[in-house]
Amino acid sequence: MITLGVDAGSVLCKVVVLADREPAASGEAPSGAKLAEGAAAQLAAALEAASVDRTATAGLAATGRYRESVAGADLREEELACIGWAAREYLPEVEQVIDIGGQSITALSLDAEGEVLDFVRNDKCASGSGRFLEVMSEALGMGVAGLDQAAAAAARTAPISDQCGVFVESEVVSLLNAEEPPANIAAGLCEAVARIVAAQARRLGGPGRFTITGSVGRLEAVTARVASMLDGEYQPFPRDPGLAAALGAALIAADEL
Amino acid sequence: MIACGVDIGSLTAQAVLVDDAGAILAHCNRRARPSPVDSAREVLDGAAAAAAVGRGDIGATVATGYGRQKLVEVGLARAHVSEISCHGAGAFHQLPGARTVIDIGGQDAKVIRLDPSGELGDFVMNDKCASGTGRFLEVMARTLEVDLERLGQMALQAAEPTPLSARCSIFCETEVLHHLQRGVDAAALAAGICRAMADRVAALTRRLGAEPAVTMTGGVAKNDGVRRELERLLGQRLVPLPRDPQVMGALGAALHALRGAA
Repeated sequence: MITLGVDAGSVLCKVVVLADREPAASGEAPSGAKLAEGAAAQLAAALEAASVDRTATAGLAATGRYRESVAGADLREEELACIGWAAREYLPEVEQVIDIGGQSITALSLDAEGEVLDFVRNDKCASGSGRFLEVMSEALGMGVAGLDQAAAAAARTAPISDQCGVFVESEVVSLLNAEEPPANIAAGLCEAVARIVAAQARRLGGPGRFTITGSVGRLEAVTARVASMLDGEYQPFPRDPGLAAALGAALIAADEL
Repeated sequence: MIACGVDIGSLTAQAVLVDDAGAILAHCNRRARPSPVDSAREVLDGAAAAAAVGRGDIGATVATGYGRQKLVEVGLARAHVSEISCHGAGAFHQLPGARTVIDIGGQDAKVIRLDPSGELGDFVMNDKCASGTGRFLEVMARTLEVDLERLGQMALQAAEPTPLSARCSIFCETEVLHHLQRGVDAAALAAGICRAMADRVAALTRRLGAEPAVTMTGGVAKNDGVRRELERLLGQRLVPLPRDPQVMGALGAALHALRGAA
């Protein structure tokens, strides 16, 4: 069975073609004024990459902050439900998921079936989210993906506070002015994000067996640090963590349509 | 003797020259460069040129703001003084009845209490969050695609401000974009932004109490949209300063330089 999942997030719109419960192709584009067109184009490209005709698919499920803007959806599902569903599918024993998205940091606990029991989310401050890392990596002259490599090569972890991104950007500029190597600053940023994320996970209560999803979950420099800060057992998300919500949507479509 | 004050902020930099009676001879206000030393040289030269004096004619210089220690290290200033002390001194010099000074800088927001003789009392400032600072307005102006200087005037033209719930400037940026996509009037959004900004500044001010006369320094003091909302929320007038409110920190530093030299 083939289903489609679209996660129209605050920063990125991700699409996935799911064949027999596994991703066959995926794509992503910035969310923006033309989100609906962007999602349609990404879907068409992913279907082509998977050599699947749209008429051969069983259905499309949309999720994410802007799921109402996705055209042609058979289902519209709440984002956390999708993340929980994907986590349960690929990690049957996981008890907590920490999702680090474009603007959100959410810790959610799951029951045995994969339903969301409880969650905590940053509501007042976007510090530590994907957008935070985007701004900081620009200041360092590298992309977000470059932070991983840079942090791995760091000689030391530059001191970065876990405050508002506006202040942290100044800290980054000051460190650059003081000729701190960008790799060390990248390590400091990943450490700061990990502190913020770990604090959010602790607010929900001891994580037990946990995984990390969302676009920032792609950065090992962040996930390894979070794992070392928390007492629970970290289980890496075994598919692309940035696609977790889109995968969950497509899985729900497969289960319900 | 001519004394000088330099205030290097996160977004802008200023220098003020005063004569030995403390009267302002000239000032210079520019966008800050990444290095505080480069910023200081630029505004010092600008102020000296505006007063038609040479850098050698300046007797003593005091630095304040971000990177003020650095200016002393490289010999551009003789001493450094805190921003709070300088903004208080500058505002009191221009408005001797001032008891409450609200200073909104590029990344910080402070409320300063002065006693009747102008001495510094208590103060409060933002710590964890930059919403309620100039940076918030800067991000929002960019989202609306209007000049920061025009945002306040634009707000005054709105019939009713669009309510904005987000506190963090990153969330608020998304909220404003969403309204724009739905065709909400940009002036109403500008007014909503000014109201959101004033809400945060008013909350900070209430922590210290708004003892009159209340005045405002820093770049945001030039935003009439924020001023109007803040006056409404505090239930009293913000007394305007006779000179550019953005140079009050540098003026205070110059007055410290003068006092130190006497």
